[in-house]
Amino acid sequence: MNPALAVDARGVTKTFGSVRAVDDISVQVAAGEVYGVLGPNGAGKTTFLRMLFGLIRPDSGTIRVFGRTWDEAGVEVLDGVAGFIESPRFYPYLTGRANLAGLTLLDGGTPPGLLEEVLDVVEMSDRADQLVGGYSYGMRQRLGVAASLLREPRLLVLDEPANGLDPAGIRDMRALVKRLAGRGLTVLLSSHDMEEVEEICDNVTIMTRGTVAFHGSIAELRTRAPDPGHALATTDDDRALALGAEHPRISVTRDPEGALAVTGPPAAVSSYVGALVRADVGLLAFTPAHTPLEALFFMLTDDPTHQSLHRPDRVRVAAR
Amino acid sequence: MTAVQTSADARAVEPAPAPRRRPSALAALRWEVRKLRAQRRAKAVLLVALVAPAVIVVVIHGQSRPPKDTLFGRFATENGFALSLLVLGFASQWVLPLLTSIVAGDLFASEDQHGTWKTVLTRSTSRSRLFWAKTATAVGFAALVLLVLAASTIVSSLLAVGHQPLTGLTGQTVPAADALRLVAVAWATMLPPTLAFTGVAILLSVWSRNPAVGIAAPVVLGMVMQLVGALGGVEALRPLLVTTSFESWHGLFTQPVFTGPLLDGLLVSAAWCGFTLATAFVLLRRRDITGG
Repeated sequence: MNPALAVDARGVTKTFGSVRAVDDISVQVAAGEVYGVLGPNGAGKTTFLRMLFGLIRPDSGTIRVFGRTWDEAGVEVLDGVAGFIESPRFYPYLTGRANLAGLTLLDGGTPPGLLEEVLDVVEMSDRADQLVGGYSYGMRQRLGVAASLLREPRLLVLDEPANGLDPAGIRDMRALVKRLAGRGLTVLLSSHDMEEVEEICDNVTIMTRGTVAFHGSIAELRTRAPDPGHALATTDDDRALALGAEHPRISVTRDPEGALAVTGPPAAVSSYVGALVRADVGLLAFTPAHTPLEALFFMLTDDPTHQSLHRPDRVRVAAR
Repeated sequence: MTAVQTSADARAVEPAPAPRRRPSALAALRWEVRKLRAQRRAKAVLLVALVAPAVIVVVIHGQSRPPKDTLFGRFATENGFALSLLVLGFASQWVLPLLTSIVAGDLFASEDQHGTWKTVLTRSTSRSRLFWAKTATAVGFAALVLLVLAASTIVSSLLAVGHQPLTGLTGQTVPAADALRLVAVAWATMLPPTLAFTGVAILLSVWSRNPAVGIAAPVVLGMVMQLVGALGGVEALRPLLVTTSFESWHGLFTQPVFTGPLLDGLLVSAAWCGFTLATAFVLLRRRDITGG
């Protein structure tokens, strides 16, 4: 198999003033795959996507989309490309339908019936004649997807498509992205939510502070994931910490707020909980903290608010 | 370099998709006009341009003493042509810069305000084409507003006061038919400096990304120019001011007629338009769209 590249970015750097938003990154997205760009806020994901769309010029490096660069092809580089950056924006004094109809003008027109079809795909047909100014955030997100589909893209770029949506909206948006991916579209999805990327994507780039921290398949990412973590509350936390020190395959730590965290293989954690019970330490709470992939994400992106739970090397020191 | 080791290095490049149907040169213009027609602000400006002159004409005509200290003011209550020229003089002070800036100063900055640059610039229309479409829309609207304002003023003046022969600036009598033609030409000479202010509003709109600046600053600039033009010792500077071009029609109502200021005004306005639009174009072309 020799899948072709939809996006081929190499050595891309962008600096704003003294801030290096994107630092010499390279990302390749094969045609037909669902690709995630993952990272915390400020990691450089959106800057990268803006450069892909030509909204921002990179200081150095090249971004090829279906083999063409902005310098070579100008706006034609966006042939076959659609999507939105951050939350999609429209003209509030126009209806949803008028917004889409206007955008088709800028696209050189669309086949008859496509506008109605995409409205139907995003389930907005019955709201399309209302002013966008009265739309909810989720409706604007769906209208953004509709505006993208009007271009009949082969590469769909979605930046945080579930951002700001309620749980039902998130579920619907993910289902929509899956449906679109099922049609054979290449999807480049940016997110700060590991669960979302894990659910939807085949391959992923994890960015932090403008650089690439990981690049590979979700399956490969899973093999690197640390043990799952749990939050623990007991009637005698000091005793629980002491018992944790007697179980070498797990780590038990106390965070600055005094809460306990347990990390380790499930069997070892189970054994530790049994030891707590036998030692007559009452369990007040024992809840999963993060999935292993989330934990890995926090490790890779060096999120200080989560690292104590998921950096076993540091945790062990802290437990003693 | 943040090396990403991937088998993709060895991959072929997916061939570029078949070209989309290219938007015509007028597509972006149609889109801009469609947006403008949907905005209450534009409709309100046109309504004001249509109604306000009639109100002003009626008010002035109803006064017992004419405003003698203004150009053509002495005859404004007894001659429709003089009254329409009085309104013209007033409009050129700040009304025309304001009316054109309300749209031109908002056209670009409102894309920042609504965060829609990223919406339109991720389609198949280039920045250049969008820029010229917006500029053409602003220019067209400025011309339309001027036309409505002029027509409303002239018609209401003639209906309210009458179309008697006009006494010119050198005391000569201008027959009614000639006076109507000259008044129409005088209003038409407002177009170049009005478009110069349109250019200023576009530049400020692109530069500031703030509709309030794009709308208000050209009016303030116009007032500053009038102040500078009224100062002594700036004779060399005065012809370069856009506001001087607003006065170039005076020579049409003298005996003999002198048209030199009209040509000067045209050239100065063209220079202002060229500078402001070229600067705005470069700013927009080079700008990183980071907001929205």
